[in-house]
Amino acid sequence: MRVLGTRVGLLLLVLGAWELWAGRQDPLLYIPPSKVLPALVRVLRLEAYPTLPEHLWLTLVEVLVAYALAVGVGLGLGFLLGLPRHVGEIYEPILAGLYAIPSVVWYPSLMLFFGLGPASKIAFGFLLGFFPVVLAVLTGIRSVDRQLLTVARALGAGRGTCFVKVILPAMTGTLLAGLRAGLALTVVGVIVGEILGARAGLGYLINYAYGFLRTAEYAALAMVALTLVMAIDGVAALAEGRARRWAG
Amino acid sequence: MPDLPDIEVLALAKRWVTRDQTVPALEGISLTVAPREFLTVLGPSGCGKSTLLSIIGGLIPPDAGEVRVTGRRSAGPDPRKVAMVFQDPGLFPWRTALENVEFGLELQGVPAARRREIARGLLEPVGLRGFENRYPRELSGGMKQRVAIARALALDSPILLMDEPFGALDEQTRLLMGEWLLGIWAKTRKTVVFVTHSLQEAIMLSQRIVVMTSRPGRIKASFEVALPMPRDLNGPEATALRAALWAEIRDESLRALESGL
Amino acid sequence: MGGVGPRVMSGATRRLAQLGSVGLLVALWEAAVRLGWVDPLFVPAPSAVARALVAIGPEAAGLLGETLGKTLAAYALSVGLGVGLGLIIGTLRHLYDVLNPFLVALYAMPKILALPWILLLFGLGTAPAVVYGTLHGFFPICLLVVGGVRDVDPRLIVVARSMGATAWQVYWKVLLPAALPAVLAGLRLGMIFCLLGVLVVEMFGGIRGMGFLLSAMANAFRAAELFAATALVSLLSVGAVLLLESLNRRLSRWR
Repeated sequence: MRVLGTRVGLLLLVLGAWELWAGRQDPLLYIPPSKVLPALVRVLRLEAYPTLPEHLWLTLVEVLVAYALAVGVGLGLGFLLGLPRHVGEIYEPILAGLYAIPSVVWYPSLMLFFGLGPASKIAFGFLLGFFPVVLAVLTGIRSVDRQLLTVARALGAGRGTCFVKVILPAMTGTLLAGLRAGLALTVVGVIVGEILGARAGLGYLINYAYGFLRTAEYAALAMVALTLVMAIDGVAALAEGRARRWAG
Repeated sequence: MPDLPDIEVLALAKRWVTRDQTVPALEGISLTVAPREFLTVLGPSGCGKSTLLSIIGGLIPPDAGEVRVTGRRSAGPDPRKVAMVFQDPGLFPWRTALENVEFGLELQGVPAARRREIARGLLEPVGLRGFENRYPRELSGGMKQRVAIARALALDSPILLMDEPFGALDEQTRLLMGEWLLGIWAKTRKTVVFVTHSLQEAIMLSQRIVVMTSRPGRIKASFEVALPMPRDLNGPEATALRAALWAEIRDESLRALESGL
Repeated sequence: MGGVGPRVMSGATRRLAQLGSVGLLVALWEAAVRLGWVDPLFVPAPSAVARALVAIGPEAAGLLGETLGKTLAAYALSVGLGVGLGLIIGTLRHLYDVLNPFLVALYAMPKILALPWILLLFGLGTAPAVVYGTLHGFFPICLLVVGGVRDVDPRLIVVARSMGATAWQVYWKVLLPAALPAVLAGLRLGMIFCLLGVLVVEMFGGIRGMGFLLSAMANAFRAAELFAATALVSLLSVGAVLLLESLNRRLSRWR
């Protein structure tokens, strides 16, 4: 209890100090909380940006499509490379090496290819979300205890059964963690893509507000974006918990 | 005039306090250990023998009573007087065997060349010559424990406390390590307090065995072991002693088992 | 199901297969462009990329240096702050209990939401890139170090204390060496994050550096130059990570 109190106190202290300090400087530049709150109200009441729901919806759709692709391709490629002997050994280092490259370097190429529309954001979100998924599949397969397979085969299990009843359950934990990380990265990818250059979407709106120096509204929109990110991760956490219990 | 005892434990008590309850670990423990004596503390799981050893070593403060080491009241770990060996060897994985043995000497500021010399000298009698530059992950369980013991011996303290040091080893290794420990003790003439739950080990190693009750731990009985070394564990005296010890300890073990320890 | 279980392939065979696969891919790519299967406006041939690499070479080198400079500055700051604060928060129980949720939450937050504000505060120049890069790199480093410190086997600390180690000695001779692997992991991750942050700022704010080069080439539809520049930045990043990896291996012989 004391810990919670200290945390709340710390948060209030930071907000309070910020409010006091920003109040004495240029409020446009330093965006004190007292300016953000009314802006937030305006934004949520759709007074500031009446088309907010459409932008929000577009961002959400981009995330969902990108994630579906990331999971589909990630799982597919992961199992394709991971199950046959030696293939994973060859290609996993390459994938891990690609992961060492800051993802944003691919974005200009994606914008060149797909333009400024939603396609480039979906492609970028896909790219970001794909890696954790495929690496999780490869790691998961690799870490399955060979002994389990030996036992299963000795009991007469065929290939398909081995896959469904031994390999999949053994890698559930790693896989779920990878799927969750992939979703988080996809969301970030879509938002980054929209902020760096778009014609619609939540990131575009944030950029728009910033361009017009409507800083309080920009801060409010950023909070909306944060809420979206947390909500999506919250749903993912629930799904992961549910899936873990179901997988036993 | 008899020697003053090396260790005196007077009416020691210790309680473990958690959020929901207070568990008494030790109650009214009184014990003396003479210089150069090999004492074994025998007891069932959970009886508090490890706690007792930690209190003597100065790692945990008692709630009541006191501990005096070589006449002075114990107020914390004193490596010049007391060295400890635990069931888990606790070797620092980033240090070689030699560097591990040097650790205590490093803490005391002994210069590097001298440290190296002492450590090397200690690894030879423990049979690890040639393994000085190996890392713990390259050593077997028995070897790790020997390094841990060498590390404790490096402190050159008069008293050695050992908390089930061979507990994690297989039976054959245990027996061999026990023999080897007796050799070390004969040579260094230290005062040893050895904690175990193995009757075999107790009979093989000690001059005196103290039996503890189950929690809360109290001293139940004390046995002098006057058998000549090397001990014939299958002889009539050892067998009689084993029976006597088991008679004392059986009820305590049963009680410990039933209370879910 | 042979993919299950530990690695068995020899290193040389593996390298050969990797190089062979990449080589095959490049050859197919070149053929695809030559045969007209893909539009060279969007997907330039590898040969065109190679030529562009030579063409933009000198200019790109300068810009690469700019980006690298900012990244190193951000890296130094993130490492200093991240390791320092990580050690403190990891060792002090009360501090950890209070601050850890904030650290985790801030780490999960997309930092780009703060970028417009940082540009407003610091203008368009080197400063926002270094600040944002530090912001990006600090959290993973700090969290990894905190985790590493808290993961230290408590029995090792008991052993040290039983040998009379002072608090300072426990810190210096036990906690730090034991937490070193986690610190090294943080150093590796931090480098990628710092570079990422600097590139994002350069792209968003049009600030001089590789990020700006990339977005400029994309806007001008100069695909070959864009691919060449992308390859350059990728090489820089992979090189830096490999360097840190070899450092990690040298310091981790005991594992």
